[in-house]
Amino acid sequence: MMKKLSGARIVIEALIQENVKVIFGYPGGAVLPIYDELFKQNKIRHILVRHEQAAVHAAEGYARSTGKVGVVLVTSGPGATNTVTGLTDAMMDSVPVVCISGQVPTHMIGNDAFQEADIVGITRPCTKHNYLVKEISKLAESIHSAFHIAKNGRPGPVLVDIPKDIQTFETKYGGKKHTKSVTFYKPNTKPSLDTIVKFVNLLEKSKKPIFYVGGGVINSGSRASLYLKKLLKITGYPCTQTLMGLGATPTSDDQFIGMLGMHGTYEANLSMNKSDLMICIGARFDDRITGKVSGFSPKSKKVHLDIDASSFNKSVNVDLLIQGDLSKILEMTLKYIENKRISFSKEKISAWWNQINKWRAKNCLNYKNSRSIIKPQYALQRLDSLTKHLDPFITTEVGQHQMWAAQFLTFNKPKHWMTSGGLGTMGYGLPAAMGVQIAHPKDLVIDVAGEASILMNIQEMSTIKQYRLPVKIFILNNHYMGMVRQWQELLHGNRLSESYMDSLPDFVKLAESFGATGLRVSKPGEMDDLIKEMIKIKGPVICDVVVDPKENCFPMIPSGSTHDQMLLGPNDKLEGEISEEGMVLV
Amino acid sequence: MTESHSKHILSIMVDNEPGVLARIVGLFSGRGYNIESLSVSEVDSDRFLSRVTVVTSGTKNIIDQIKAQVRKLIPVHNLIDITELKSFIGKELILMKLDIKQNTVLKIHKHIKNIGAKILFEDKTVIIIEFSGTPTEISSLIKKMKVYNIVELTRSGLVSMALGKDYIRR
Repeated sequence: MMKKLSGARIVIEALIQENVKVIFGYPGGAVLPIYDELFKQNKIRHILVRHEQAAVHAAEGYARSTGKVGVVLVTSGPGATNTVTGLTDAMMDSVPVVCISGQVPTHMIGNDAFQEADIVGITRPCTKHNYLVKEISKLAESIHSAFHIAKNGRPGPVLVDIPKDIQTFETKYGGKKHTKSVTFYKPNTKPSLDTIVKFVNLLEKSKKPIFYVGGGVINSGSRASLYLKKLLKITGYPCTQTLMGLGATPTSDDQFIGMLGMHGTYEANLSMNKSDLMICIGARFDDRITGKVSGFSPKSKKVHLDIDASSFNKSVNVDLLIQGDLSKILEMTLKYIENKRISFSKEKISAWWNQINKWRAKNCLNYKNSRSIIKPQYALQRLDSLTKHLDPFITTEVGQHQMWAAQFLTFNKPKHWMTSGGLGTMGYGLPAAMGVQIAHPKDLVIDVAGEASILMNIQEMSTIKQYRLPVKIFILNNHYMGMVRQWQELLHGNRLSESYMDSLPDFVKLAESFGATGLRVSKPGEMDDLIKEMIKIKGPVICDVVVDPKENCFPMIPSGSTHDQMLLGPNDKLEGEISEEGMVLV
Repeated sequence: MTESHSKHILSIMVDNEPGVLARIVGLFSGRGYNIESLSVSEVDSDRFLSRVTVVTSGTKNIIDQIKAQVRKLIPVHNLIDITELKSFIGKELILMKLDIKQNTVLKIHKHIKNIGAKILFEDKTVIIIEFSGTPTEISSLIKKMKVYNIVELTRSGLVSMALGKDYIRR
């Protein structure tokens, strides 16, 4: 006969059945029974973070670098509310995360009990779905459903809130196979053949095509990347990638013309603007990509490939939509091209490539280097040169350094670039890097950071110390919230309201106090030695790279402008005033 | 160029579980969509399914977006846009409490009979009537009855169904 298990034990057993190896968490009163069960087993490793927000970001880093579901365990009340930023981040960037939170016992719910928060209510809009488990009989079902929902369709975070009494009640658990789960959640993953035919027809006809590739390709898995690479090769068409899509296909490829969007390359944005066919694959026409929507790629036919129907025609109307799993869509497309023996003439697009190469020749990422002061772009170029043979995993915080990292680093493999794109969460990079390092203990993991962002989750240095995670933190220290300052210069009469970072810690001493190595550099000539030393050191390192405090990030499409209204450098001035419409945009 | 707004009746089949209405309503408020009318009740007690009827308005793009977003909610089994079907019927129920006085009671009774409303309760001071009809009929009833003293009224919100063979699958 099947033995009865406690709710807490069922949680652990269900996680084991979901093949969970690591969870990121922080204990507290309302999850003590689960922590007790964790203590009694050795199949799941628990990583004790220092703040619950970091637990979610770490789980995101783990998930994005492996393709598996990241798992978080927190207590009720403040433990749960601290996860909200992380869950929203995972929601915006489509990261599969399951967050298990403790809750006050069922009879106390609604009584304003100690450490009670209506976390299911709070996280309803920032999770893909959530559960409050009110009966022990629903516990296993809720957990297995959470995993099913988190990873199927467009991935996202799912929260399971488990009251303490449910954790102590007992019931039988027959394993995942014998647990009913949300069987009706089956997103449409298979496209229809006639849309594929239409798609290939458009591909054949186009003279000025552009592939616009987003993070959906990476989420769909390595086969999607492989098929896309093939399709690019067969067609010879140019390809741009979004911030989330970097590495979907190698960015060192000659057909890759740089990232697009607000800080994208001149050639990528102009190609989008002047193209006659835009093939959007797993991206969502975000406002950082489109700029002013009414002037967005006015002459192109637009094809949109995505698993999420709500991404279609949301901000930009498209001519052909194909819903489905991207690897299936791309596989069917390749098969159709092969079966019909369709070939793509390079001649037909040679004028287009000539035009693109002219735009490329502008060398829009060029900057004026200095011999006395480190330019942030230079620091990243050196980092790229000296590390790319190691295929490092890169995480970032949010701001100028993030955009420069996107512009100057090479991404030759998917799942090697973890950045907070949709939500723009400062403090994301350090905990995300921990999650990545846990999943890839032998690989080089670098958090490219700014001195402002890094302080938002700096407490995680303690976690890094505890688990001896050899994360490398590469701070581009310009003493400003650089992106805030850049906008204040551009849009607010250079009134630098509260964007100066005063009273910074000594990052070298800070590193040392957490048992890490601290390195500082302020001369361009010392840059290479610093990076080499950083790689050589086995443990965690904080590099305090003192850079030009006044450098700004270009190219830039000012808010409310279109792709052909880019500012290429500090000497490019805005044409007239930014419109009122543009001023209110973020 | 301003696109035209149009009214849509969405019929949504959902799991009857706690929070499901909050998910739908929260989605509308969070994304800035309108709810002009809302009604919800369990329709299948064996399978714990409720049917929600939402009347909303927006441009075609917004309506498409609303439908796609609602369909993404996990407890939502099915959604149909009744307004996009060939023909449909939409009805609402109203309860109205009227003050009666010696000199108005006969007039009110006659009026009620004329419009085909039902009397649910009556004493010396008030009369409660029930009437069902299209939203336009209900509005016109309210307008007509305004000559008397309406103490209070309540409307159920629209419920709707396609004519002919079309129906919402569970």
